[in-house]
Amino acid sequence: MGQAASGGLTQGDVDEVIAASKGVFNQAEIESLYKRFRALDRGHKGYISPEEFLSIPELSINPVAQRLVRCCECPNFTTFVKMVAPFSPRASREDKLVFMFTVYDVDGDGFISREDMSMMLKQLAGSSLSEEDRQDIISRVLEQAGGAERLDFAAFKSALSSADLGNMVVEVPVDL
Amino acid sequence: MGELVKGRLESSLPGLRGIVADDKDQEHALVTREGPTKGDAEIDQLYAEAEDKRLLKTSLLLDVLNISNVLTDGVSAMVDDSFNKCFTSTRPEPWNWNIYLFPIWVVGVVIRYLVLFPIRVTLLFIGFNALIVVFLLVDLTLMPSKRKMAMQRKLVQWMCSAWVAAWHGVIRYHGPKPTPGKNRIWVSNHTSMIDYVVLCSYSPFAVIMQLHYGWIAFLQKRILSSLGCLWFNRTEVNDRAVVAARMKDHVNKEDAIPLLIFPEGTCVNNEYTVMFKRGAFDIGATVCPVAIKYNKIFVDAFWNSRREAFGKHLFRLMTSWALVCDVYFLEPQSIQPEESPQEFAGRVQAMIAKYANLRIVPWDGYLKYYNLGEKNPGLIEKRRRVLADVLRAYLGKTSAAPSAMALAKEGKAAVELQSDGKGQKGTSSVASAADKKDR
Repeated sequence: MGQAASGGLTQGDVDEVIAASKGVFNQAEIESLYKRFRALDRGHKGYISPEEFLSIPELSINPVAQRLVRCCECPNFTTFVKMVAPFSPRASREDKLVFMFTVYDVDGDGFISREDMSMMLKQLAGSSLSEEDRQDIISRVLEQAGGAERLDFAAFKSALSSADLGNMVVEVPVDL
Repeated sequence: MGELVKGRLESSLPGLRGIVADDKDQEHALVTREGPTKGDAEIDQLYAEAEDKRLLKTSLLLDVLNISNVLTDGVSAMVDDSFNKCFTSTRPEPWNWNIYLFPIWVVGVVIRYLVLFPIRVTLLFIGFNALIVVFLLVDLTLMPSKRKMAMQRKLVQWMCSAWVAAWHGVIRYHGPKPTPGKNRIWVSNHTSMIDYVVLCSYSPFAVIMQLHYGWIAFLQKRILSSLGCLWFNRTEVNDRAVVAARMKDHVNKEDAIPLLIFPEGTCVNNEYTVMFKRGAFDIGATVCPVAIKYNKIFVDAFWNSRREAFGKHLFRLMTSWALVCDVYFLEPQSIQPEESPQEFAGRVQAMIAKYANLRIVPWDGYLKYYNLGEKNPGLIEKRRRVLADVLRAYLGKTSAAPSAMALAKEGKAAVELQSDGKGQKGTSSVASAADKKDR
C-alpha cells in the first residue's frame, strides 16, 4: 500500500481493505480508520509501532496491552483494519471467537497450551495469583473444557458457547 | 446484556467500557462539569469496582477464557480515545467545490498570500523591530525604576498589539480588566503560544513558560524576562518545587505584574480541556480565571506542536483573513475551607470550560510525553487483582492477601485521613502512582 505511506488513500486501496476485512466496514468507516491510522503513525512510516500504540493512555492502562500490541506486529493499514474487523457490529460470532483465540494462543501454534494460558493469566490476573494457584486454575479449565492437554479452536469455541459476545463491539466514529 | 447499545458507548471510566461507575451522589462522578475532579486513590477504587461488576463470575471456564471485555477495551482505545481527541485539529469542510465558489476561493487565496501577507509581514517587521530597539535602549540606558518598568510593560503591550494586528485579530474582551494586586494569580486555558500575545496586547502579564529554542528563546530571555517571566522545563521534576517557590515570591510582591499560568501544561485544541495541574492553586493566592475561545471561522488557532513548527503556525495565521477570539475575565475565586487544591483546580476548570465551551477530559496533558501504564503500574495491578480474587474464590480459597477492593478502600481511607490536600502524592496523572499498601 504505497499510497498509504505517502498520504493518500485511493479507492483501489479502500476496495482492497474492504475485501481483506470481509466487508464488515463501509467506505466511511474505512476512511475514518485511515485518519486514525495516520494520526497514530507519527512518523508516517506506514505502520504503527508498539510505542505509538502504548502512548494511547486508555490502552496503556489495559491489563493485556502488551499482548494486544505484540499480537499484530507493527501493523500496516490493512492489518490494522483486519484487527478491528471482528469488533464491527457486522462481524460474525465466529470472527470474534477466532480473534479471541488468536490473542490467547500466545505462541501461535493453533493450540492454547498450558504455557499460553499461564502467560495470559499473568497478564490478566497479575502477580497476586501465585504460581501454584495459576497451575491449579489451568488444570481445572482444561478439565472443564474437554480434558485435553491443550485447547484447539473447537474446544475453545464450545467452552465459550454460552458466552454472550454482544459486548465485543467497537464503533468506528464517522464524521457525518 | 445482549442488547447492542446504540450510539457511542460512553463510559465515565476511560479505557473500561460497558459499566458506568456507580455514582451514588454527585461527588462520586469521575469528572463533572460543575464539580471537583477525583483524587488518585478514589479513581483506582472506581476501576476496581467497575472491573468487579463487569466479571460474570458464573464459571471458572468462562471467567478465564472469556477475555472479550478486556480486548474490547483495548481495541476501542486503538480506534478512538478521549486523550488524542484533545490534540486533533478538525479540518473544516471544503466549501470551494463548485464552479462558482472555486474562482472566488482562488481570488481569496491570491489576496491572502500575495497581498495581505506581504503587507502584514512588512508592517510587523518594521513595527516590531522598532519596538525591540526602543525596548533594548530603555533596558540598557535607564536605571531600574518604577518608570522604567512601566515603560517596558507598555512597550511589550505594543509589541503584542503589533503581532495581533499582523494576524488581523478581532478580539473581544469581556469582564473587568485585570489589575495587579497582592496575592493574585491568573489562570487560563491554553491553545497556542499566541494566547499570551492575545492577552498581553490588552493588559501586561508575566508568565511561566517552557523555554523553547531558536529565535523564540531570544525573545523569551531578552524581553519577556524583564516582565518577570519565569522559565521552566516540564520534564525536570525538580523544577516544580523551584517554580512553586518563585510563584509564591512573585505574587507576594507589592506591585507584582499579574502572573499568568496555564494549568493544563500543554496546548489543547480549544474544544476540550485537560486536567488542570494544582500548582497554581496550591500557593494560597486568589485565582482569577481567564477563558479564551477562538472562533475557527477563518483559521484554527490550535498549535499542534507535534505536527507543526511554530513558524509554520504563525505563517498560517498571517495568511488567513482574520483571527477571531473572545476573552473572558472571570470572577476571582478563593480556595474554600474543605477543598483540596486539586478540587479547587477542578472547580476553576469547570468555570473556564463553561465560558469557553470546552469539554473536560480527565487526562493529564503531560501524557503526551510519557506512557501512563508504565509510569503508574499501580492501576493495572489493581485491575488484575480483581480478577485474581474472583479466580481464587473458585479454588475455594479466600484471599490470603487483602482483596483488591479492600486495598483500594484502605488506600482511599488513608488518603482521607491525611486529607488536608497535602496528603495526596504529587502525581499528576489520572492513575495513582503507588498505593501505600501495595507490594
